[in-house]
Amino acid sequence: MSLFTTSFAIRAYVAAAAVGVTAPVVGTFLVQRQLSLIGDGVGHLAFAGVAIGIAVGVSPLWGALAVALVGAAALERLRAQGRLAGDLSMALIFYFGIALGVVVLSAANRFDASAIGILFGSIFTTSRSDLTLMIVLCAIDLAAVAVFYKELLAVALDEEAARASGLPVDALNILTVGVTALLVVAGMRAVGLLLISALLVIPVAAASRLAHSFRASLWIACGIGLLASLGGLLVALGQGSVAPGGTIVLAALLLFALSMVFGRRATRRHARVVTR
Amino acid sequence: MSVTVKLDDLTFGYGAEPILSHTTLELLSGEAVVIAGPNGSGKSTLLKLCVGLLTPWSGRISVLGLPPTDPAARRRIGYAPQRIRGATSLPVSVGEVVASGLVPQKSLFSRMTAEDWRRVAGALEAVDLTDLSKECMFELSGGQQQRAVLARALVSDPPLILLDEPTTGIDQRFRPVIAQELRARAERGRTVVVVSHDPEDFHAVIDRVIDMADDRVRELTHEEVHTMLGRRS
Repeated sequence: MSLFTTSFAIRAYVAAAAVGVTAPVVGTFLVQRQLSLIGDGVGHLAFAGVAIGIAVGVSPLWGALAVALVGAAALERLRAQGRLAGDLSMALIFYFGIALGVVVLSAANRFDASAIGILFGSIFTTSRSDLTLMIVLCAIDLAAVAVFYKELLAVALDEEAARASGLPVDALNILTVGVTALLVVAGMRAVGLLLISALLVIPVAAASRLAHSFRASLWIACGIGLLASLGGLLVALGQGSVAPGGTIVLAALLLFALSMVFGRRATRRHARVVTR
Repeated sequence: MSVTVKLDDLTFGYGAEPILSHTTLELLSGEAVVIAGPNGSGKSTLLKLCVGLLTPWSGRISVLGLPPTDPAARRRIGYAPQRIRGATSLPVSVGEVVASGLVPQKSLFSRMTAEDWRRVAGALEAVDLTDLSKECMFELSGGQQQRAVLARALVSDPPLILLDEPTTGIDQRFRPVIAQELRARAERGRTVVVVSHDPEDFHAVIDRVIDMADDRVRELTHEEVHTMLGRRS
């Protein structure tokens, strides 16, 4: 039982809970805007940031943060200009980020097991300072969504109408990708850069089977994200040798599968057109 | 009656050819206007120019006394674009969609108040959707989604209402309800501009029909309106 109450395990719980709650909050807006893959794009770019950070001798987290923020802003600019409409542009960015990261890490003689931890998570090695940074990044994300909720929702529902009504759509779009970048960096330790996007999307997809409204989707997705994160972590702790990043994402997928079976839209969505 | 929208020698096009050429037009407060014309004549483009989504090649536009890109002007426009955004990725309730029309009027940290929700209820009642306010948009029919988008444009009771094909997909029995609601808004001093392929839907409630064809804008005479509607019926 002590395995579950050691300081590294407690730090892992807190980290998993913070990311598990925050990722779906950000992801709800991304999924609604059909930008589900942007978290993946930012994650791949952040890997290059980690590598650059190591190469120049600064913390990998700060390297990831800088490149993720700049990359997210660039991705949004490409999208706004209509140059990111298809999945080809996004695929090219994935390859660029991961290839640059591999090249820089190997050139710095650091392409070792730590790279696996960056890509797939190493939550049990979360230090106190790592945890502090993760909590701060998640808190910034939650605060930004709380403050700008109604504006972000208006843009997510209809960008053209929102722009026509005088909302600062460009600034709100930058905010959306900015909080995504922060979340990706916060989740780097918890589930890794290649899997964090799953926590942005899967709980939201599950919640969409259960909710009536956007607000309800967001709350339910938070609950599913938290459940998957802590459940996956517990499985990894109990089993002892499996990577928690993978178990967390598999737990989220299990909850999604359950929502497919038991969700209200599993049987009703296509059968039910409201008559009036 | 004051001038709400003023187009002065306006020219705009998408490629090399202009779709609007040296267009001059004034729309007044308290009038309901239908903009008619064939596909590709620039009807939707005209509305997008009025809300600042497009920038003219030359000439000037004034909306409520301001440039159309000025947020102060945009916040006072109720705009319903042609494409229905009902096919949302997530469940979004009808009430949430309509309430989003109030967001530009709200300050940054303010929450939706009971008065705001009363306005949402009023807008839903105006388009006869009251009992569907908690339903998901993507579970509604196309016509019901269209009415929800219309309610979003009306909910803030803006002085300028710009609607692009507002009756598309709406049952014939609801079209007079929509037309009468727009007439009531015009009677209260609002400017109502409707782009429509079906001007007969609004025949009983409009003051003018503007025809767009061959990159020109022209107001139809009463005789021409009757001839056009007679030809369609």
